[in-house]
Amino acid sequence: MWRKGSCEGSDRFEYLQTLVTEFQDTDSEEAKEQVLANLANFAYDPKNMEHLRQLQVPDLFLDMLTEDNENFVEFGMGGLCNLSMDPECRDIILQSNGISLVINCLSSQREETVLSAVTTLMNLTTPLSRPEITDPGVLQCMLRFSLSQSPRLRNLAAVFLQDCCTEEQVAQAEQQMQGQQTAVGIPLPKD
Amino acid sequence: MAETVSSSSDCWDVPEVYKHHEQQKICVSRPKYREGRKAKAVKVYTINLESRYLMVQGVPAIGVMAELIQLCALYGAVEEYRPLDEYPAEEFTEVYLIKFQKLTSARAAKRHMDEKSFYGGVLHVCYVPEYETVEDTRHKLQDRRRYVIRTVQNKARENKQQEGAYKEPTTSDTTTTSEGTIARQGKTSNSDHTLVTSNTSHFLGFPLLPLPPQEHYFCGHKNQHRNIPTEDKMGTLHNAITETKHQPEERSTSRQISSDTDKSSGRRLTPNQASAMRFVPRNTNLENRKRRMEEAAEHSLTDVSGKNEPLIGPQLPEPPKVDMEDESLNTTVSLIRNTMKQAGSVCDLRPVEKKMKPRRRI
Repeated sequence: MWRKGSCEGSDRFEYLQTLVTEFQDTDSEEAKEQVLANLANFAYDPKNMEHLRQLQVPDLFLDMLTEDNENFVEFGMGGLCNLSMDPECRDIILQSNGISLVINCLSSQREETVLSAVTTLMNLTTPLSRPEITDPGVLQCMLRFSLSQSPRLRNLAAVFLQDCCTEEQVAQAEQQMQGQQTAVGIPLPKD
Repeated sequence: MAETVSSSSDCWDVPEVYKHHEQQKICVSRPKYREGRKAKAVKVYTINLESRYLMVQGVPAIGVMAELIQLCALYGAVEEYRPLDEYPAEEFTEVYLIKFQKLTSARAAKRHMDEKSFYGGVLHVCYVPEYETVEDTRHKLQDRRRYVIRTVQNKARENKQQEGAYKEPTTSDTTTTSEGTIARQGKTSNSDHTLVTSNTSHFLGFPLLPLPPQEHYFCGHKNQHRNIPTEDKMGTLHNAITETKHQPEERSTSRQISSDTDKSSGRRLTPNQASAMRFVPRNTNLENRKRRMEEAAEHSLTDVSGKNEPLIGPQLPEPPKVDMEDESLNTTVSLIRNTMKQAGSVCDLRPVEKKMKPRRRI
């Protein structure tokens, strides 16, 4: 019922608040995963952006990127991918030094996590943040992704290389790849 | 380098089975308040998972491709389609690749066709972004960003309008608002945060309304809580009348609460109405009837055409009193009834006189 009409606004806020509270209060790993996925999916709907910002969900998602639980990382990264489409959320993520956390996710073993990270990096690109995002290490990583078996990763990396940086930067990164390599985007070994 | 790779990934390649197509385990451990309408796996949806390319599995291999495409076309223009003969399929079923013109069409088609039966089979529909070209992916992301920005801006504008309407219902156009309203809007949006976070105490600031019927309860509550004179989608200020409109409804559905107030205010209720509401002791019923008789007697003494006719014999039964559940309506009803009575009594007298004459002749 709260999906329609103009009177649903505050109700939705309360619901999201309940989710955030449950996430913070529960000790159950499973419940946390479910709530996190819920919140990340709510971030898909632009109508919730304002509420999620008020509840500091962008920071909650960023916190998840350094968790050991791969599900937490995947859902948090998915949520950031959804949120970062909104310029205001993008600015919050940038202010919280999100770029380096997102770049770390390029090394995840999970494809979804990596895909979300690439899309998020594209969303986070502004004139100010561009130098950090188009770091040679990241570009080399994208060049490797563009050779990936996975068409989705290949395509996203291609879009990144074409839209987010200059041809010179790409050429430079290619040259560097002949010499020294960076570890960004190389999946971490399984334990 | 990227170019060469991307050119080889068109949709006429031999498809592979990708992990994200596998149906994940449905989550059964959700608490009630987080339960959706459909059982779903714990999964996060991002734009990367969506695509205007759909794969439809489980199509019965009985030559119904045309019917399938017709069904798909209900949700938007289909740009391309082909059977994916190479894709592993269950026995006697086929797999199809469908490329919609728009992502929104693909989304609608997926929502409506997935897990629906089709010529005796159950369809499984999923996005297949791996069939996208680089250009497709770029457009998808650009469209998404544009859509989000547009929606967020629209919502912000809407909120401003609502706040403006709250203060000054006549100003509907934000572009022409004066500096004063802008300043006020800024103030309200500043206080918005505290307003929302402290809304529990906010509720208490309002006088408690009598409980409306349950199904209307939440919506009414919300309207009252947010900003009272908001327009609904049809552009009417329905909130202004909800209060008065709810009351009669509420009386008819939840009588128990209202019956007490009715009695204390001395409002008459017809006996069967009362019995329908709740059990009333016989004594009370008798008392009520006595009071009603007295009142009726008073009325008849003062009302009926103002004549002081002596009362002989038992009174004719009073016309049943209709309770309109509303003070002003009752007043109107009694006015009309009295007028009708007066008119009726005037009409009555003449025929009697006329009838008397022929009798005399005989």
